Formats: sequence, structure tokens, C-alpha cells
Amino acid sequence: MELTLDAELEARLREVRALGESRMRPLGLEADRAGGPLPPEHPLFAELVARGFGRTRWSGEIGGDTATAPGAPRRTARLAVLLAEEMAYWDRGVAVAFPGPGLGEAPVLAIGTPEQRERFLAPFRAPDRPRWGAFAMTEPGAGSDVAAIRTRARRDGDAFVLTGAKSFAANASRADWIVVFATLDPAKGRDGQRAFVVERGTPGLGNFHVEHKMGLKAYESTSFTLEECRVPAANVLGGAPDASAAAGPSSRTGDGFRGAMQSFNATRPAIAAMAVGIGRAALDAALAFAREASLLRDTRVRDRLERMERRLRAARLLCWRAAWMADEARANQVEASMAKAFAPAVALEATSLGMELLGEIGARGDHLLEKLHRDVKAMDIVEGTGQIQRLVIARQLLRFPRD
Amino acid sequence: MTAPPGAGVGSGDAGGAVPDFALPPELVLLQESVRAFARDRLRPRDRAHETARAVAPEIAALHRELGLGALELPEALGGAGLGALARAVVAEELAAADAGAAFALDPLGPALYALHELGGEDALRRHALPLLVRPGARAVLAVDAAPRLRTEHDVVRGVLPYVPADRVDLLVVLERERVYVTAGPFASTPLRGAGLRAAGASELALADGARVLDEWVGTPGARRVLARTRLYHAATLVGVARASSEYARAYALERVAFGRPIAHHQAMAFLLVDMAMAVDAARLLLWQAAAALDAGDAVLTDEADALCAGAFVEAAEAALFVTPNGVQVLGGHGFVQDHPVEKWMREARALSLLAGGVDLAREDAGRRLAQASEPPLALVRGGAWS
Repeated sequence: MELTLDAELEARLREVRALGESRMRPLGLEADRAGGPLPPEHPLFAELVARGFGRTRWSGEIGGDTATAPGAPRRTARLAVLLAEEMAYWDRGVAVAFPGPGLGEAPVLAIGTPEQRERFLAPFRAPDRPRWGAFAMTEPGAGSDVAAIRTRARRDGDAFVLTGAKSFAANASRADWIVVFATLDPAKGRDGQRAFVVERGTPGLGNFHVEHKMGLKAYESTSFTLEECRVPAANVLGGAPDASAAAGPSSRTGDGFRGAMQSFNATRPAIAAMAVGIGRAALDAALAFAREASLLRDTRVRDRLERMERRLRAARLLCWRAAWMADEARANQVEASMAKAFAPAVALEATSLGMELLGEIGARGDHLLEKLHRDVKAMDIVEGTGQIQRLVIARQLLRFPRD
Repeated sequence: MTAPPGAGVGSGDAGGAVPDFALPPELVLLQESVRAFARDRLRPRDRAHETARAVAPEIAALHRELGLGALELPEALGGAGLGALARAVVAEELAAADAGAAFALDPLGPALYALHELGGEDALRRHALPLLVRPGARAVLAVDAAPRLRTEHDVVRGVLPYVPADRVDLLVVLERERVYVTAGPFASTPLRGAGLRAAGASELALADGARVLDEWVGTPGARRVLARTRLYHAATLVGVARASSEYARAYALERVAFGRPIAHHQAMAFLLVDMAMAVDAARLLLWQAAAALDAGDAVLTDEADALCAGAFVEAAEAALFVTPNGVQVLGGHGFVQDHPVEKWMREARALSLLAGGVDLAREDAGRRLAQASEPPLALVRGGAWS
């Protein structure tokens, strides 16, 4: 049992705090007022790259990650949840806008071949400029039901031809490449899916549309279409299936879906940690306001703040536990989903309580707590809704049937 | 998962401190042996112990042989000298079988904390050791914040409406700024008890010149004792909640309705998931508080104090959510006493009334939060309010 952080972790967190206070929080509020994402040429992004952000966690070695010193225990996942929480505390929207391989990194690492890791992640090892990667699973007609995606991939010689539409892909219009999930055979459900790395400028990739969101306006959530978009077979993560694979079962079928699920197992605790970060920002703002307005004399107010502090702490521990298990290479699907199911609801409660304490000041629409209340809702939706998390847990704990 | 992680490979500290939830190896062994004892010896006799208002002598003897009777007693006095995390683990396991029996099996209970923390080995020798060799003897700690007992010229008067014991040999009274000890005489009136009946239940009157034998005045001491008491009961509540959650899960996988196990109806599945999640969240706060107590050793930091209060509130909220739903999952079968879920529901409610009650813990943790000089959940110290 160890719940303290060593000097190295503290130093990383202090660095994020300094950046958050000086840049992320103000820029997040600015983007929220402006109503749109920070443009790719915003000076923040070049500054971040110069400061060492925007890099891949892939070290160039097979299975390597840069967060672990040689011989030391793996701590990548724990570092990820700690940084995610601290960044989201300052501004989750700006955090997602940060350059880097983003959500696309996990499937490239999980199912990409060594050559593919080199091709797609090496440019992120010491980026010459802000670069983004992206991840596209969700479609207008398929959100939680990821097995029902309709984007089709059809083999044509040494390439695959993709046709379909994707939505809510963060940073997609500015990305060097997008990991696109498509199906070779919709009748096979998840087993028919593969992950394709679609590179910027590929003919047929287009119609980028930045969605108008309730909150988290600092980064782009983008829909786009693939129209007869030819992707080289070398861009199929894990290697192209042989000709028979599209028609019949093979050892490689299901890699696409499996890759997506592995991505989610890795990122769910970090999303949950982001919810904790937003909730923490709300708690601090609520406490500061309550103190200023002399509300802390009221038992009812103290009781509710106490509940928020305690529940956020529990949410954080659920995140840390899931990350600890990931670092120990133990199956953590239940624990990752518990963190993801628990934290967003708690964080929403914290932002809502903050609004309540503000009274009509909250209704003006110009207070940080009002923004946090809009921002936080997405945490219960992205990378598996709270309901999907409960299904994932139920499948494990209760052998809940898939169909 | 619902059962706490036991065996696990720790990260070690080669790279410095990072969050790590593996129990130390000696606690893993302890957890395994207590779990087996609770499952094999306590659970099968839960109704018998409830009816008898006591634990069978041969079971109590086994419990002592396992070294569980003096878990936190200093080694110099023949105890195991273990800390708060060990108590958290042991109390959860015992309570997951029978919380009332767990109380009956621990003759000192949280009274040990007052004697040890405030009176040291001397007080333990005078008050605790004699009890440990007297079969059936019980020390009770009563949190008396109101207070309901009065002392005048070292004589204690008043009535405690409920203590979880039929027989009281030593009473430790914990006020907000004072702790005192009396050995009676007591007048006990047996009660039926809402739950925890295996521990006994009585109204305790002090009317015949019960004398104060030891007294310690001062807030810090009283707070240390209260923090440890809250942790003890938080662990017990986590155990009860876990028992109910696991039992309901197993039942829901067996019981068929509308052509499938009821666990495979989504409304039921989501409820069972939320129950398991509530137990895990409560246990994590419990362990965090225990680790903070153990790290601080004799010193109680404000932080550890608030963590213990929070752990108790969370455990109570979890148990009060989980255990009625344990009954709900079993439906009519849950309401009859053929299954233990109704017992756990009664026990969760009764347990949450101990240690001064949940509202007092909310009050303590809330006041600390209101006085916080730094953002309370900052990952690194030294941050300003944003």
C-alpha cells in the first residue's frame, strides 16, 4: 500500500500546474467565449512542442515506453492518470487539443506491426512542429454499439477502399493520420472490423466538419467522410488480412475490434481521471466562493462539500487502482470500467453543487463553474458511456450475455 | 472485483513512490487465514450465534489461536502489534461473515485505542490484560458527544440507550475533549437489538457510584481515539456491504425469472454492478485512511483524522445502499430469515449509528474542509486557490 508520489512525479505535476495556471485555464476560458477550437497554428502548440509535450510514449523499442527507467517497475499508466487529472483540472478542452498522437497511439501500439509503429509514431518522438494523430470509431449511426459501424473497407489490389462517415474524432482535421475503424464484412459484427491508418491528404478523405458542442470548445470534435478512399494495405494495423480472411475466418479476424477495446482499457482510467480533475476544479471554485460568501457556516453547505471531496477522492483511487493494475500487467477491465463509471457522475455532481452555491450568479453564464458544468458532461459519454461501462463490468462479474 | 485484492506483486520502490494497492505479504497471509476462519467457522453459525447472543466457546478459542484476539495490542504485552491497515483487513473479513460475532470475538474492541493511545502500556496492563484472560469479559467504547453521561466528583451517572454487549466489564467514554474509563458497577438491561445480536445488546445504566478510574483531557487525544474507532467501524461496514453484494450476485446468477438468470436482466445487472462498485470505492477510502494512520504512527495529522471520518461516512453510505438492495435482489426470499441478507441490512443500519454516528463524522470532515488552507485534493502541495 503506497499512496504517495515521489519527487519525479511531483516535478512532472508541478510543471503541468505551472503551464495550466498560466496558459491552459486562460486559453480554455477564451476558447469557450469564442465558441470554437484553438487553431492548429496557435502559438501555444509550438510552445508545447518546444517544452517537450506532444510526444509519443513509444520509446522506439518493442514494448518500450519512455516513462519507465530501465530496470524500474512500469509506471506508465499511473503517470498517465496523474497527468490527465492535473491537465483536466486546468482545462480538459485545451488538454485534448495538445499536439501528439492522441487516442490513435494506443491501437498503433497495441496491434501495429514494428514497421507501423516506426512509420506512424517516430515523427512524434521529437516532433519538428506540432503534429496530431486521431482516432475515429464513432459514426452518426453507431456510438455505443461499436460493432454496428458501417464504414466499409473493400480490398482492391494492394489497397483497401474505404467508404463511410465518422463523427466526434478529436483533432481529426489537423491530424497527420487518423486510425479509422471499418468493416470488411458487416455481417460479422466486431469480427469483421479492422483498423486503417488514413493519412492526411488521402484522396477521398474530406468534408471535415467541426461540431458545435455544449462545452470543451477548445479542441475540435470533427466529423468527416471517406469516399472511395484508397488506403495502402501497409496501413492496415497489424498487417493486411490475406485474401481469404475477408471471406472466411482467420487468426487475424477481430484484430480491429480487439485493438479498439485494448485502447479503451488503457484510456478509460485516464478519462476517469480527467473527470476527477474537472470535479476538483469545481470543488476548489465552490469552496473559494463559499468562503467568500460566508456560506461555510452553514452545515448543509459543508456536508455537501464534504461529500464532493470524499467522492472525488474515491474516484481518484479507483483510477489509480486501475492504472496500477495496468502497470502490473494484470487484467483490469472491471477496475478500469469502474473508474470510468464512477468518476464522471461524481464530477458532474461537484460542478452542479458549485452552480447551486453560486445561486443566480451561476445563471449568468460567465463563471468558471458554469463552464465546468458543461465541460464535464462529456466525460460520461466519451470512450464508453456510464451504461456501457456497467455492461462491460456485468459481462465480467455476472457473465452478462452479449446478445 | 468485489473481494479485495489480496495476493499481488508489489511494484517495489525501485523507482520511488507511486500509487500501489498491493497489501504487504504478511497482511495477505493474515487476510487469507481470517477469510477462511470467517467462511468456515462464523458464516455457518451466524443464526446460532445471533440466537445465543454469543459466539460458541470453541469458535472463540480458534479465533484466539489465530492470534486475532490481540491484533493491535503491543508486542511487549503479548499482542501482534499490528496497525490500522491490518485491522481494516481483519475487520472486513470477519464482518463479511458476521459483524456481531466479530464484536463478540474482540473483547477490547475500539476501547483498546483509548487505553493504548492515551494511557500507554500502563493503562493496558491495568485495564486490558485482565479482561483478556477473563472469559466473556467485554470492554465497550461509547462515543458520548452529547453527552448523555455526567461525571461529578469522579462518579459517573447516566444511561446509554444501547451498547453492543450483554456484559460490560469496562466502559471507555469518549467525549469531544475528554476520555475516561470506568469499571462500573453497571446495571445492564438486555435488549433485543436491531442488529449485531451475536455481540449482545443492552441498555447500560451507571447509577451506583461508578467511579472514573482514568481520565485524559484534551481534544487531540480524544480525536485520535475517535479516528481509530471510526476506522474500525468503517472496516466492519465494508465487510457487511461486501457480504451482501457477493451474496446477491451469486443468488442473481442462480435465480431464473422470465427465462434467464435475473442477473441477466439489465436493470438487475446494473444494480449489482453499482453495489460491487460502492463496496470497492468504500474499501479504497478505508485503506487510504488506514495507510495514513499507519504512516503517522503516534501522531494524528488533521489529514488522517479527516480521512478516517470520510472513510466511515463512505462505508456507511455504501452499506446503507448495498444491504437493502441485497434484500431487494432476493425479493421475498430476502425478507425471510432463511437468507442472511436481511441480517446484513439490519447490521449496516446499526453499525452506522456507532462511533458517534455518521452525521458527526460528516461534521468533522466538513469543518476541516471549510478550514482548509490549501486546495484539499491538490496532487502536489503548495498550490494556490485557482
